[in-house]
Amino acid sequence: MAPRENSHEPSGTPVPLETGFATLATLRPGVKAFVEKDGETRKAEILTKQMRRGKMKFYVHYEDFNKRLDEWIDSERIDLTREVEWPAPEKPEKKKASSSSKKDAPSKADPKNLKRSRSKLDREISATPSESTSVNIPGKASRPSKASGKENKEVLVTSEVTDGTTPKPEDEEIDLVDVQDAAAAAKAAPEEVFSREEEIEKLRTGGSMTQNQTEISRVRNLDKIQMGKYEVEPWYFSPYPIDFATDAEMVYICEFCLSYFGEETSFNRHRMKCTLLHPPGNEIYRDDFVSFFEIDGRRQRTWCRNLCLLSKLFLDHKTLYYDVDPFLFYCMCIRDEHGCHLVGYFSKEKESAEGYNVACILTLPQYQRKGFGKLLIDFSYILSKREGKLGSPEKPLSDLGLLGYRAYWQETIVDLLLDGKVEANIEEIGFASAMTTNDVLHTLQNLNMLRYNKNQHVIVLTDAVVEQRERQKAKEKIKGKRSLDPEKLIWKPPVFSAASRTWNW
Amino acid sequence: MTARVTGQRFRQRKLSTKQNLVILREHEVEKLIDDDPARHVPKVETGVEKGEEGEHHLQAVISAAQAAAQSGGKIAQLYIPTPEAVASKLQYEDLYPKNFTQPATYIRYSSTVEDTIGCPYCMNSEDLAWLKAYNQRRDKRERCSEDEFEEVMNFFEETSQTKQPFAQVDNAPVLSFEDLQAEFDETISESSRRFAKDIYSHWKEQRLLKENHPLLPQLKFETNQETDDSDPYVCFRRREVRQVRKTRGRDAQVTEKIKKLRKELEDGRLLMHLVKRREVIIRDQLAHDKAIFEGRRALTESKRKLGIKGDDEELLVNQKKPAPKPKPRVDVAAVQRGIPGMGQKPPAVRPDGRLVDSDLVYLEDQLNKKSEAIDRFIEENLLKHKKWNVGWIDKTWRPITPPLEQAAAKSDFRPVFTSSQLPTPPASTSSAEGAGGPMEVDQPDKQLDLASRGTRIRYATPPEDVPFQEQTRYRRRIGRGGRIMVDRRGVKRPKLDAIDERVADRYRFDCDSSEDEQVYPVDYTDNLHIRYRIMIERQGDKTHAQQQQAAAAAAAAAMQNRRAIENHNRSSSGHLLPPTAPTG
Ligand SMILES: [Zn+2]
Repeated sequence: MAPRENSHEPSGTPVPLETGFATLATLRPGVKAFVEKDGETRKAEILTKQMRRGKMKFYVHYEDFNKRLDEWIDSERIDLTREVEWPAPEKPEKKKASSSSKKDAPSKADPKNLKRSRSKLDREISATPSESTSVNIPGKASRPSKASGKENKEVLVTSEVTDGTTPKPEDEEIDLVDVQDAAAAAKAAPEEVFSREEEIEKLRTGGSMTQNQTEISRVRNLDKIQMGKYEVEPWYFSPYPIDFATDAEMVYICEFCLSYFGEETSFNRHRMKCTLLHPPGNEIYRDDFVSFFEIDGRRQRTWCRNLCLLSKLFLDHKTLYYDVDPFLFYCMCIRDEHGCHLVGYFSKEKESAEGYNVACILTLPQYQRKGFGKLLIDFSYILSKREGKLGSPEKPLSDLGLLGYRAYWQETIVDLLLDGKVEANIEEIGFASAMTTNDVLHTLQNLNMLRYNKNQHVIVLTDAVVEQRERQKAKEKIKGKRSLDPEKLIWKPPVFSAASRTWNW
Repeated sequence: MTARVTGQRFRQRKLSTKQNLVILREHEVEKLIDDDPARHVPKVETGVEKGEEGEHHLQAVISAAQAAAQSGGKIAQLYIPTPEAVASKLQYEDLYPKNFTQPATYIRYSSTVEDTIGCPYCMNSEDLAWLKAYNQRRDKRERCSEDEFEEVMNFFEETSQTKQPFAQVDNAPVLSFEDLQAEFDETISESSRRFAKDIYSHWKEQRLLKENHPLLPQLKFETNQETDDSDPYVCFRRREVRQVRKTRGRDAQVTEKIKKLRKELEDGRLLMHLVKRREVIIRDQLAHDKAIFEGRRALTESKRKLGIKGDDEELLVNQKKPAPKPKPRVDVAAVQRGIPGMGQKPPAVRPDGRLVDSDLVYLEDQLNKKSEAIDRFIEENLLKHKKWNVGWIDKTWRPITPPLEQAAAKSDFRPVFTSSQLPTPPASTSSAEGAGGPMEVDQPDKQLDLASRGTRIRYATPPEDVPFQEQTRYRRRIGRGGRIMVDRRGVKRPKLDAIDERVADRYRFDCDSSEDEQVYPVDYTDNLHIRYRIMIERQGDKTHAQQQQAAAAAAAAAMQNRRAIENHNRSSSGHLLPPTAPTG
């Protein structure tokens, strides 16, 4: 193992793209090894490692799989008989250059600044090594470039390089110098009780004095959450109190106020006192199946913050960098005698310069694959129709988001075209559905429905599309169709004064 | 890339999104020679992060969906695998009782989380263990409830947060019990206070374990340190603060605004301070007045007891005069006492003061001078105003110089300064109270004169929207030999004969007023009339600048005259004070 010393110049730095055989001791963050997963062998990048009960555990990300599948594995699952890829050592500055080439995402971290803080950090470390876990290191994390209401991260702080050239897998290497198993410290749930001296020694020998915060956020920090009738595994990092990452096996979340607790006793006590039974806002839609509540981020700051913390566990691209004030939250609930159970929500900027009608959208995992996502999306377009606007979801979409939207768009457009009309134009379809022209166009193109026939453009209702829709309808007949009734929306588009938008404290 | 390609594709063929396109079924379209549909499907932007677009599961679902859309057939029920949610072991029914009844109407709700969660401190297992042990040692009736425990803990936590907001940074020591106790307020109930001291030991222990950090898990907010930016735990930063800092101009603007606000607040504060001082002084003054009054009462009592005869009234009546000028009052009293003797030595001053005689200022002269000055002033200003308005039509409501009333139309109802035609009233008739007496009588007359003269002067707030000339006005004059004359103007005599309606009709449109001028029927017993009379009484208060000035000047003149009389009195009463010649 090549310990990362504070010199940042570890001896025996591997040359870029070097491959070779590794031992358990030399496996370290940044290394890509072959790992057994569900009977297959997949290439995985080690993000961090940690001693647990005397055994070394590795947190890995499977290449070409979503981060939500990242996991802690035992060393036995790593195939050491195959060569591993060593991480490419890159100078922070160089890294900066490549990441700043990302469209629309100027990397804000100033190299000078970075150096200064690093040296400052070094001083701090040498002075008080035991406190290194609480020292925040400015890493490569570039902050969202706009102060306007952006809920999606514009910058993925990991390592995609999208400067037009074919990205080689090697490019996805992250800055070696910063890669430490420090994230382990965030996750570190030391089963053994370390004495202070042992702790220092462990940190010293582990070479993890520096921890890159970017790396911390790449590692899921909560193991499990308990919410309502369910236990749910988080998918991504969320900035819940840092104590939870180290101390809590389970984080308990009150189903109604979304407050969070690191242990059951506190949670039970809270439940005895909490009187909230539905999202704290106005119900703007109600049918036999669901209710929608509109919550103003500015008026219900705590609740909306709690909601964002929760949803961040399942939305990779959401950022909690800025506060919730400029957003409205539309929360979908199902009702019973216990109260209104939050099923999913979407947030929406009070005023979107880009014309987005959704910022973030999520169906809670315990309610996924039950058709709620479609209702959420539909509701966002019902609101846009009431506003007399066209809308589109903020980008980037998550993988699940993309699939959800594509299905909704297809269904909506096909239904409009199956109406018996002889002609249609793209803008009209947009107006009828509150979809942007671009989304209509892309959906038609994607389904190969836009063709050139006898010297003119035509829209083709392909057999495949029609057949698919009919099958869907047949299924709905059996299972019952869940859809929203725009008549039941009691809502006027809210108007906000300039002051309420700008003075956010 | 893909966007560009598709863009070109459509630019070449000129597809307009506004153009109506025929909707066809697949069989209606001519088959393409090159029948591989996949080739014609342009790659469309997904909106997914580039680095993730290629993810295995996503691609699998996308291609399956596309295959289904191209070639039909069943779409494989593919989905992106996600970690499963499982049923919780907790007893849901216990945690979430069935308390919800749905109202008939849509819920409207604005309470916040803080409003609804009760005491924010929720005890953990260590707290619970401590409390159990603690209660076991105590008598059953003396036990501390969980609610009381949390109340105290919460109080300690919140007080620490207020008193040591930077405890996490500056390693402040844990607050002592005395410090905390000093802060006890209504947020902590009496019943809980009983346990505060005992709970403190537990709280302190817990705080020490956490290096004096808050016991409840906290989110990390920005601390404005440079480490904030990259710390993924720092969340919910304020937005606008950053934006505002972007421009210096805005900074300065905001600073100015705040400075101004600050100044205004200071001014307000000063004003309040002065008002307070004034009120205090008035209070003191009242106290003094009372003391003097009491003193005098005591004096009269003593006088009675001692059988000294004398006019008690003079002591008590004088009390009405404002206290702050005791000296003049004494003088006045002296003058009063001198009054009876005035007949005895009326020309007392003359012998020693021929000069006095020539210096003597006569009230009426002063009055005349004053009113002339006032008239001149008004006249000048009217001229000035006219000059300004040359070439303009004054459309303001009730203009100062209405266009219709030319200077030539100046009223011939001239003021008569009756006092100048009277011999100087003997000084002996004027008493201290009466010093202004004749003047006070004349004063309203004077005002009335001004009002009647001022046909071209209008008040900013006339009593009602009634043509001024139609008002009835009176003026009292004192004529030669003390005759009192009342001049009247604008008095309508009741018509003796009822005019035949048909005759009246002939003249209906005979007036030259514009059509939109409102005509009011006038009833002289109605409010309007009464209000007018009130107005006359309040003329001194009129808000019109000129009028005010005139009134002020008149009042000043009155004052000076009063002083002149006083001086006169004084000198006539044998005082050696040289009368101060009023200036101006
Ligand atoms: Zn709650």
